[in-house]
Amino acid sequence: MKVTVKSWTGVATWRWVANDDNCGICRMPFDSCCPDCKLPGDDCPLVWGACSHCFHIHCIVKWLHSQPQQQCPMCRQDWKFNNK
Amino acid sequence: MAQNINPHYASSSNPAKQNEDTIKLKDNHAVSKRLQKELMELMRCADKGISAFPESENLFKWIGTINGPQETVYAGHKYKLSLEFPNSYPYAPPMVKFITPCFHPNVDTCGLICLDILKDKWTALYDVRTVLLSIQSLLAEPNTHSPLNQQASYLWPNQPAYKKYVDEFYNKHRDS
Repeated sequence: MKVTVKSWTGVATWRWVANDDNCGICRMPFDSCCPDCKLPGDDCPLVWGACSHCFHIHCIVKWLHSQPQQQCPMCRQDWKFNNK
Repeated sequence: MAQNINPHYASSSNPAKQNEDTIKLKDNHAVSKRLQKELMELMRCADKGISAFPESENLFKWIGTINGPQETVYAGHKYKLSLEFPNSYPYAPPMVKFITPCFHPNVDTCGLICLDILKDKWTALYDVRTVLLSIQSLLAEPNTHSPLNQQASYLWPNQPAYKKYVDEFYNKHRDS
């Protein structure tokens, strides 16, 4: 039997690789976006701190801006962005 | 009619105000979303001895209840609290107050609570559940070094006398 492929459609899925399902700050799933964004993905990325805790970038930036000290809301260590 | 509006007015005063309003609405929306999640979570896995529910259709004001922890002077008591969420929640803590009068070293006569996690030790990871659990453990383990209620702090070391007083206080004020 001989098959001729006339057309095909590719489908891809993606997900963030994080050690948790939800952002602890907004409680939205990491694979969804923060409440201020409309679309998940590169426009609402996740960031990790040096302490290994992970949040939506918009959520952690909003938290750091609202505080006198720049600490991780999970472990209270000084927050440093982990550029891995 | 709309065409007759002076464009200078329309461009100078309105957009700024509109912008402010949309920011506020957007924030409110995010807070509602988080509060709804918390409510669902609380209803899904109810903890023993604490509960909370919005007071009315306004999601920004809740009523919580805490059962006095077992094997403490507060055992058998049930305390109502009010929780009010600011537009900046969870970046700022909720305002939590006892509605049922509570005789306790760290609670004043207006029901205000002295608890670090409701002030400078607040983090956006706390929620209604952890706040109520923290207040429940505060009942069992008061901080007698910086009391809001001096009398309660002074009486605390004498647990039998404290128990007697707190029972009488509770029975007298529980319905007020």
